[in-house]
Amino acid sequence: MTQHLPILQIKNLSKSYGAVKAVNDVSIHINRGEIAGLIGPNGSGKSTFFDCSTGLAKPDAGTVILDGQDITGWSLNRIAREGRMLRSFQKTVTFKALDVEENLVIAGQMFTFPSIAATFGLGKLSRQRITGLRERARELIRMAGLWDVKHMPAGNLSGGQQKLIQFASMLMPEPKLILLDEPMAGINPKIIERVVDTIRYANKSLGVSFLVIEHNIDVVTSICERVMVLDQGSKLAEGLPHDIIQDQRVREAYLGG
Amino acid sequence: MSLTETGQQTRRLDLRIPLAIVLITVALAAPFIGSRYVTHSLIIALIFMLPAHGLNLLVGYTGLLSLAQAAFFGIGAYAAGLMAVHFGTPFYLNLIAAGLICGALAIPLGIPALRLRATSFVMCTLGFVIIGQAISKNWISLTRGDMGLSGIPKPYFELGPLSFTVSGTTNFYYLALAIVVIFTLLAWAIVRSPAGRNMVAIRENETLAESLGVPTWHYKLIVFMMSAVFAGVGGCVYAYYLTVVSPLTFQMYYSTTMLIIVLGGGAGMISGTVVGSLLFVGLTEALRVAPELRMIAYGFCLLVLVFWFKNGFAPLINRFWNAVGGAK
Repeated sequence: MTQHLPILQIKNLSKSYGAVKAVNDVSIHINRGEIAGLIGPNGSGKSTFFDCSTGLAKPDAGTVILDGQDITGWSLNRIAREGRMLRSFQKTVTFKALDVEENLVIAGQMFTFPSIAATFGLGKLSRQRITGLRERARELIRMAGLWDVKHMPAGNLSGGQQKLIQFASMLMPEPKLILLDEPMAGINPKIIERVVDTIRYANKSLGVSFLVIEHNIDVVTSICERVMVLDQGSKLAEGLPHDIIQDQRVREAYLGG
Repeated sequence: MSLTETGQQTRRLDLRIPLAIVLITVALAAPFIGSRYVTHSLIIALIFMLPAHGLNLLVGYTGLLSLAQAAFFGIGAYAAGLMAVHFGTPFYLNLIAAGLICGALAIPLGIPALRLRATSFVMCTLGFVIIGQAISKNWISLTRGDMGLSGIPKPYFELGPLSFTVSGTTNFYYLALAIVVIFTLLAWAIVRSPAGRNMVAIRENETLAESLGVPTWHYKLIVFMMSAVFAGVGGCVYAYYLTVVSPLTFQMYYSTTMLIIVLGGGAGMISGTVVGSLLFVGLTEALRVAPELRMIAYGFCLLVLVFWFKNGFAPLINRFWNAVGGAK
């Protein structure tokens, strides 16, 4: 029955920093299996909206319902671990001193070992689980096209490759939903293509739903089934990508002309 | 081509096992090789290795710089000393108690301290050492203040009808060695476990670790506790070795020594801490030949270390170990 419910429902979310209303009474939902886009000018509250939805910041008001469960007020790590909703950051972040494979193994650990106590375990079971994680990591590394550099420290790789590591890491725990904060920022067109392919693959083959913040309108129109527009902390519009880019208000506020 | 390859393989022998056997033999035979003074220095090095392992878990693996290690070292020493003097409990029990008391005390200290940012956290941990020393000086009815707690008996073990008292430097060396081996293996097991990997993840990027489901706050508290347990155990062994505990056990100098051991030996490496302890305790002892210049020379050695071995001796140890193992 829950299959018909949206995977994520956010109701009346508000967040202020001092006198600035970063997010003002925004409600959105993301359907199961959907790739949704979130666009808007810089400073429109997109990242704050992400932070409040994923537990990095506490919303002043509003509820966040993930897969039928109220997760408002959960910490970032709990939402990731128990809710399987993962997020990326605007600035590309990886564990720079560790190699690509270790980066991915870490990403899968808290999902394979259900408690902290279990992660301290040695024993055969623990080793088996790690072997399983390593296999999955290698599969994803191959898919992301990082096979040749899998034993290089992440910090030595290019920005685009680090984006791919970040992306592959988020697929390690078999997530339900991934929130991407400007995944295409600062990477070359060839890698953009690879990231787009990976998103499509994760969506179609792994059944992961997405909410993507992106400034690259071509990417948004090509991958997103539905787009929401934020402006000055409020939702300005919502609809199909090609309707949105024709919308007069959106053109004035964001796209220009 | 295959000939040269096999030729190379036979030349590049794996010497790690023979080297390990030599090292173990040296460790076991040390009291008979060197003088009593050398054995004494080795015991001090072994004792400092315990809090240093704990600190390495905190600084080297989790990336939290703490100066509280001397506080837990002192608390462990006093806990063991008080129990031995007042209750006459056996050594092994006091050792466990010292570890557990420090681990338990780390919770109320860690909860507020770990909420602070990097530099404030360091200042806070520094405060613990100062408070520890003040309490040990002024709670005279419990600690006897500056007079210190004396008359800690020699460690003895009872197993049914058998009993054994550890007396003399040589015997104490083996006791310290056994404890250190156990705790080194424990530290090694921790860092090799998935939890160890999560600790490194927190060191590398806390927010990213958090976003991948790692409960970073709980981890930091647990590691802080574990580091306190290591320090407490070290303090207990120290108290038994000196047979006296005084407020001097709570010294900032000890915290810095432990930090130098970890950073100089190579943070984030168990073998780095082992080498660091032997090296820096050895260095302070070796420099006693020139007492007036001792601290100046020590400072100079640290400067050399900082400029030439930025990451401590860890990369050097790694390269050496790989070379011995036959890798290029």
